[in-house]
Amino acid sequence: MKPEAGNQKVQTYQRGLEGLEVTDTRISLIDGVKSRLIYRGYPVDELAENCSFEEVTYLILHGNLPNQQEYSQWKDELREWRIPPKEAFDSLSIIPSNAHPLAQYRTMLTIAACHIPEAGRSDMQAQWRRPARILSWSAALAAGAIRHLNSQAPLPPKDDLDFSANFLWQALEREVSPEEKSAFEASLIVQAEHGLHAAAFAALIVISTGADLGSAVLAGMGALSGVRHGGANQLAYEDISKFECAEEARVWARKQLDEGYRFPGYGHRVYKCPDPRVAVLESHAKNLLASKGMEDRWEIYSAVRAEIEGALSPKGIYANVDSITGLIYAPLGLPVSSFPIPFCLAIETGWMAHCLEYLPHGAMIEPGAVYLTSS
Amino acid sequence: MTTYRTLSSNFSWALDELDWPVTSEVGPGLSGVIATGTRVSWLDPSSGALEYRGVPIEELAGMHSFEEIAHLLITGNEPDEDKEAFSAFRDQLRASRVLPDDVIALIRSLDSQIHPTSILRAGVSALGCHEMSHEDELSGERHWRELRIIAQVAALVVQIIRHRAGKEIAEFQSENELAFEVLRAIQDTDPDAKDVRSLNLLWVLFADHGLDAPTFTSMVVASALADPYYNVVAGLSALRGHRLGGASETVLEQILPLDTPENARSWVASTIASGGRIAGFGHRLYRIPDPRVVILRKEVAAQARRKGKSELFDIARAVEDEAQRHLAPRGVHLNINFYAALLFHLLGADTPLLPCLYMVGRMAGLMARVHEELENPRLYRPLGHYTGYPVRHITPEKGR
Repeated sequence: MKPEAGNQKVQTYQRGLEGLEVTDTRISLIDGVKSRLIYRGYPVDELAENCSFEEVTYLILHGNLPNQQEYSQWKDELREWRIPPKEAFDSLSIIPSNAHPLAQYRTMLTIAACHIPEAGRSDMQAQWRRPARILSWSAALAAGAIRHLNSQAPLPPKDDLDFSANFLWQALEREVSPEEKSAFEASLIVQAEHGLHAAAFAALIVISTGADLGSAVLAGMGALSGVRHGGANQLAYEDISKFECAEEARVWARKQLDEGYRFPGYGHRVYKCPDPRVAVLESHAKNLLASKGMEDRWEIYSAVRAEIEGALSPKGIYANVDSITGLIYAPLGLPVSSFPIPFCLAIETGWMAHCLEYLPHGAMIEPGAVYLTSS
Repeated sequence: MTTYRTLSSNFSWALDELDWPVTSEVGPGLSGVIATGTRVSWLDPSSGALEYRGVPIEELAGMHSFEEIAHLLITGNEPDEDKEAFSAFRDQLRASRVLPDDVIALIRSLDSQIHPTSILRAGVSALGCHEMSHEDELSGERHWRELRIIAQVAALVVQIIRHRAGKEIAEFQSENELAFEVLRAIQDTDPDAKDVRSLNLLWVLFADHGLDAPTFTSMVVASALADPYYNVVAGLSALRGHRLGGASETVLEQILPLDTPENARSWVASTIASGGRIAGFGHRLYRIPDPRVVILRKEVAAQARRKGKSELFDIARAVEDEAQRHLAPRGVHLNINFYAALLFHLLGADTPLLPCLYMVGRMAGLMARVHEELENPRLYRPLGHYTGYPVRHITPEKGR
């Protein structure tokens, strides 16, 4: 079916284009009533439990889980692109290290984009050669940006490690335990695709102009960097990291509830029910925190969450994925200001899938604006 | 509830007010969708009307500098209304052209033949690292921030032009307007008044044109409350597409090799006969000639004559006539890129610089709309219509 076929002739929508169906998609189903997130038919909890990040990225991009041969080719292709252009790392030396890691990361990506192969091509063959390069370069540059926060030089990749273990190695300079890796990988898998949220929509607009896939990803990252969007996991973790004990946190949460504070990491435009991604990550976060002697963080999180959900769940406000990913990234030793980066890395997969799905038939996206004449 | 017939030529795209939710027609590429209500400008593709803050484009073009139009678009005030406010605005704009040494060093560290739009995007991103530290609050005087970015983008383009030509770093003089400084970078000498007028004219015509992809991308990114430099990086990413910024380069690639009006005509005829595209023709919105074309054609004619390149104008006219003869019956008309590309060329700009030069002008409208968006932001989050697999489960051997 052509992507445009889903467009009804007449639609009703709110500001922010809420409720407007932009295109048909076969990539994911976000069920905000029954609390389900499905990639290409598979529930996300089953994918997180049984699959690697590489398998899930293949699934999201191509529509099916890879067979043995496709899987090993995809892993090889990802591994081939682990070394981004040197110029991108060099640019770190002149970027102020107090800039937000996402801004540093973005700058490295814009420099890397000056050195991409087949820069002028936007035909489908060339576009399909790009996802592996984009994912692997992004991972290496993201790790470099995180190292730069502590004024450390980037590390070379380790070929014997898979995508997520290698990313953690390049970011942390240590080989992580199997528990750490599976917690991190689960966080990447549940965040790898989420429909036409603002960032994916920005990417879709850019690809619709005939731009290259990397340019679309850069636009998506722009939207993601906003505090309303991808920056929320950092803010959510900062909120709960100021407390010594659960009781103190509970008192704070009650007070904030009274004052109508908008808690980062809670509530969602689509989910008016528990966010299915949270359930997947709960045991990972709890166990990982316990293994690092950080059980109190889990207790504080649970106390705050119970207060907020107790008060606001009748209004459809529950903890969303941003409330919990920090509880995996913190015990791994990632700096708090870098928390948005793994999310960004994972969800590039979904943006690329939406772009590649839209491209063959999609018209250039250009809505209208109504000129308001009242004073 | 009213259903707006937005895809009909009777819809004027102007309303007293807008009550959400709205019901409208929706066509391919979200044509017909009402993404927002605006007071920045009025664009009615069916009548050809284009007004910036209520002033018709015909009254603005050729009468005002780009700095004045940027002021109009962003503040809603004409420069004559409040001379003091305008001088403050202009001084701020000009002072913002001084870039950090590191950013200039970054530009100059890149191969000068990399496409200028890629270098510009990297430059804006690096500049954002300098301007916004991670402790920075995004509230406060947005107004000045946006103004500053317009000037900074122009300054980056100037430095890219200098680097591309293998020339030294440009130093800006506060008494010189933006158009003067950009032309000085291109021509490597003080430009004359007529060239300054032409560049201002181009930028005024390009300053705003509804929700084109760079502008709308920037608005979507702004709605997530991203840092303003990121809005621009995203907008510049949309500029790279061959359907957009790349189109003006293709115009020159097609026109410049043509040597006589006669050959131009036969090239057009054979290109169209073989199903090829003539760059500079066709616009998503317009089924009638773009009103901006008339203004630009006159300017190109005068500049070509003045620079002893009348032949180029004659060739362009021949291409236009011949293509119009074939394409007008199909509702395909000349768009602004055609004569704009020729005018940039007559001013001395290297072909790959065209998208960047266009963008300097568009930054005024883009920033005005981002500013408007941020007065009452709501995250753009539309939906996809799921037509994929029903739920399936992972088998022990997975898909294999």
